[in-house]
Amino acid sequence: MAENDRLIEVKDLQVSFFTPAGEVKAVDGISYSLGYNEVMGVVGESGSGKSVEAYSIIGLLQNPGRVVGGSITFEGEDLLAYTPEQMRQFRGNKVSMIFQNPMTCLNPVYTIGNQLMEALTCHDSSISAQDARKRAIEMLELVGINNAEKRIDQYPHEFSGGMRQRAMIAMALICKPKLLIADEPTTALDVTIQAQILELMKKLQQEEQTSIIFITHNLGVVAEICDRVSVMYAGKIVEQGKVNDIFYNPLHPYTKGLLASMPRLDSDGHERLIPIEGTPIDLLNPPKGCNFAPRCKDCRKICLRQKPPFADYGDGHTSACWLHFMEDDGEEASGK
Amino acid sequence: MFSYILKRILAAVATLLIIMAVTFFLMNAIPGNPFLSEKASPHAIELAFKKYGLDKPLIVQFKNYVVNYLRGDLGVSLKMQEGTSVKDIIFNQGKFTRSIKLGLSALALAILVGIPLGCIAAYHRGSWLDGFLRVMTTVGVAVPTFVLATLLLATFAVKLPLLPVKSGELTDFRSYIMPVISLSFYYTCYLAKLTRTSMLDAINQDYIRTARAKGVKTSKLVLKHALRNSLIPVITYLGPVMAGIITGSFVVESTFQIPGLGKYFVQSVMNRDYTIIMATTVILSALVIFMNLVVDIAYKIVDPRITLTSKEG
Amino acid sequence: MKYNFAKLSPFQVDPDKIEETFGLTADDFQAATDTEKESVVYKHKSVSYWRDAARRFKANTVSMVALFVFILCLLFAFLGPRLIPYNYADQYRSSQKLASMEYSEEEQLVIAMSKNCDAFYATTLKSGSLTAIKKGDYTINYGGKTYAFTLKKAIEKSVLALDADAEEPLFVVKMKDLNEDGTWEKSTPVELSDAPAEGAQPLKLVNSVFPHVFGTDSSGRDLMARTMYGAQVSIIIGIAAALIVLVIGSIYGAISGLAGGAVDFVMMRIVELIYSIPEVLIVLLLQVVLTDPLRAWFDAHKTGIGAILGDLGPGIVSIFITFALLYWVTMARIVRGQVLQLKEQEYVNAAVALGASKARIIRRHLLPNAVGALVITTCLQIPSAIFLESFLSFLGLGVSAPMASLGSLCSDALATIEIFPDRLIYPAVILTIIVLSLNLIGDGLRDALDPRLKK
Repeated sequence: MAENDRLIEVKDLQVSFFTPAGEVKAVDGISYSLGYNEVMGVVGESGSGKSVEAYSIIGLLQNPGRVVGGSITFEGEDLLAYTPEQMRQFRGNKVSMIFQNPMTCLNPVYTIGNQLMEALTCHDSSISAQDARKRAIEMLELVGINNAEKRIDQYPHEFSGGMRQRAMIAMALICKPKLLIADEPTTALDVTIQAQILELMKKLQQEEQTSIIFITHNLGVVAEICDRVSVMYAGKIVEQGKVNDIFYNPLHPYTKGLLASMPRLDSDGHERLIPIEGTPIDLLNPPKGCNFAPRCKDCRKICLRQKPPFADYGDGHTSACWLHFMEDDGEEASGK
Repeated sequence: MFSYILKRILAAVATLLIIMAVTFFLMNAIPGNPFLSEKASPHAIELAFKKYGLDKPLIVQFKNYVVNYLRGDLGVSLKMQEGTSVKDIIFNQGKFTRSIKLGLSALALAILVGIPLGCIAAYHRGSWLDGFLRVMTTVGVAVPTFVLATLLLATFAVKLPLLPVKSGELTDFRSYIMPVISLSFYYTCYLAKLTRTSMLDAINQDYIRTARAKGVKTSKLVLKHALRNSLIPVITYLGPVMAGIITGSFVVESTFQIPGLGKYFVQSVMNRDYTIIMATTVILSALVIFMNLVVDIAYKIVDPRITLTSKEG
Repeated sequence: MKYNFAKLSPFQVDPDKIEETFGLTADDFQAATDTEKESVVYKHKSVSYWRDAARRFKANTVSMVALFVFILCLLFAFLGPRLIPYNYADQYRSSQKLASMEYSEEEQLVIAMSKNCDAFYATTLKSGSLTAIKKGDYTINYGGKTYAFTLKKAIEKSVLALDADAEEPLFVVKMKDLNEDGTWEKSTPVELSDAPAEGAQPLKLVNSVFPHVFGTDSSGRDLMARTMYGAQVSIIIGIAAALIVLVIGSIYGAISGLAGGAVDFVMMRIVELIYSIPEVLIVLLLQVVLTDPLRAWFDAHKTGIGAILGDLGPGIVSIFITFALLYWVTMARIVRGQVLQLKEQEYVNAAVALGASKARIIRRHLLPNAVGALVITTCLQIPSAIFLESFLSFLGLGVSAPMASLGSLCSDALATIEIFPDRLIYPAVILTIIVLSLNLIGDGLRDALDPRLKK
């Protein structure tokens, strides 16, 4: 990817939470870049640091969390050097975010319209109330809310879960941001609603030409909407690549495990789902070696001693596992 | 909304009826009667009983109370101002007005000082100001009203005679200062504590994160998004505050020698002046019940999720 | 070894030199055993709920200080009266209306005199108006020696003094013969006998006058003794009332929550009714109503529970009754809420399926789980009971002299606030400290027992 094609570039980002019990390295040296009009999925289980990483982009990290290393560059500008006021202007304007639980993410005591218009007015104080309202109604119509003229004056509790998430999306896109971060936007919804929301996001992404970082633990959702995928485990990206590469030629044992634990439509119906044994590591006391080693079925002695480097399989497909460096590694190398 | 209020008023009337019954039972259980005194002969007492209908069976007496109250007739005083209409005593001698003025001033002070202080503390969480306010409010809710009232009296009226010892009929502004402060201090501190807690609670909610993600300014975040939500538990507490202020007025009115309803109630109990006990109890209870209704309606205004028409809150 | 190309490496390693860079050997690619894998996993020590709560409480400096202060208050209230020579009810007529640490004229004379003798017994400094040492046989143990003597006549308004080195060690000086500098005009020696007579009373001499630290009231009662006693009464009332509320509220709430349906509906309407009554109005009436019948009942029942309650007096017992009647509603609501929440839990369903009785479910499953909320509410109930008692006593409805509570002491002090502000300040400060420390302990318990509630 050429330098000026990159919308955002994250290099060796490290985020720690300074708790009374000690430093928790929630994100421990991750690097990736995202182009214009590109959708990247970030997959991982709870606590793998995927949300923390997104919060550090948009400047929403709360005490005791802090970026302790690395850089985030957005259209050539260093985000970490922004003043709080610059960051505030940036949030919601260039990058916006939608969250997991639409039930609690809208302020219960203000109307949907009020909250939508606020997103506009806090970046452009010159906009008139009528214009803001008109734009808000347009956005609600765009996200498929019928009768938007009337709906705009209703309160969040008068909206269903799916509708609220639509309103959240409308609110996020109202300033035409270049990047949308979606933090598990469908997790809290019914399966049928999930599909509708995904469909909507796909459609809007194409219409509005917005890049999306799509955080989820659901691989099915990733396959649906993403161009590229990063797989995170315990604060590190273990594998990233094009969505097809990840799905049809997973390299890292963790990715393989994730795929094996997911039901597939193309299976003959007799395959069993295989869970990944064990629990995630304690980030307060991370192991010396590979973070996944204690749960890995194919763990080697070196894995317990030393963090693995990335192996590059071309076309942006990389994976960090010692097995890739093994002599006669049969299956592992067969992808290339 | 209308049917809700109607329902609440009916419930309030029922509650008042029960309070009347309890009061009636209790005051008749107080040993002695209003006419006992050293010089009263048994015959005179008997006459007085007859005159005021106290010789009738209790159930009839109670029925008379209820019927008369419904007609707006509160009876006449039996002892303290014998023969004077209770309505006159309470409303025309300024007792009710004084107590209401005192109570409302204290309520207003508690709300207008307590809630902003709580917001300031939450906004400057962890600063020296927050620390100072936390210490002040924590100590404030451990000082009983009568202690504060007497300490204020000792300091500002006796040691440095800046303010009048006797507030009396609350005719000028200076006579309000100490009674209102003593009456409201506990609640000011409590409301400040409550507001701070609920404000911090609100600040940690998801919708605040959403607003931050939109790029809303910090000041607006607090004043618009957090404040209104954090007021909900505060408003719930205002009902008990009103009841507490009435309680406190008993102490404050005796300490500062204000001839108000609170002081009069205590005296009427001591004097077994049945009609006055009943009237003050009913009026003060009605005040508290009315306040609770106001609070519930205010609740509805702040929190659109509460629908008053559906189920009774 | 054959490697794949690793162009993108956070370690910036030349892929061809992986082997050297990391010092890899063939052995490194041997499969790791399960034990090896487990050895790198950091294991949390599992901590029980209570131990964890205790740890959190101990880590909370404010609460620990509050606990320490409350223990000091307990010592002041319960151990203090044993350490000072004055009693809350005794009236020391020569020492009326003293300010804090002030000595009465007679005390000053005796103090001056005590420099000129070893030990003394001053009749005027004792409780009562006409105290005297009656005639009879006495012994005095002092400095390892026993002095035995017989008084043929009672002595009053005098000091019985002992000067071990003098020729006549025991002598009586009349108060009126004492000079300001501690010398005396004349003294009457007491004749010592060799052996104590049969049934001789021991007499205790002292060598200093204990100060009235907080001063005395208008009847000459020592205010420190009264404050200690008042604190005792207030703390006992607070704890007992909180326990009453705990028991009644828990039972009511648990029954309401468990029964559900119509029973729950009716029980909760009752709670709502009591809730909407401005209870203080009723409390005041109740206090007046209950006093006489209670006194009559105590007079009729002088044994067992009647005697215990009788010692407390009708004022305090009626406060207990008030709490039992009106103040349990908050607790009942909390317990009901807990019960409803817990009722949905699987393990309760399991217990029901196994045929456990309702009483057993309450006892074995629900209460232990609700205990956190109960402890917190009970702890915070204590100060509110102390508040109510002091409020009633202040209005003259709670305890009455010679008994004392912190509220009645404040109330008594009000009459003389212009001359003796100390009389108000001591009990008021102690009351505030007790309530403050209990509030802070309660807050600490809430943070420790229910981390979810932590703000």
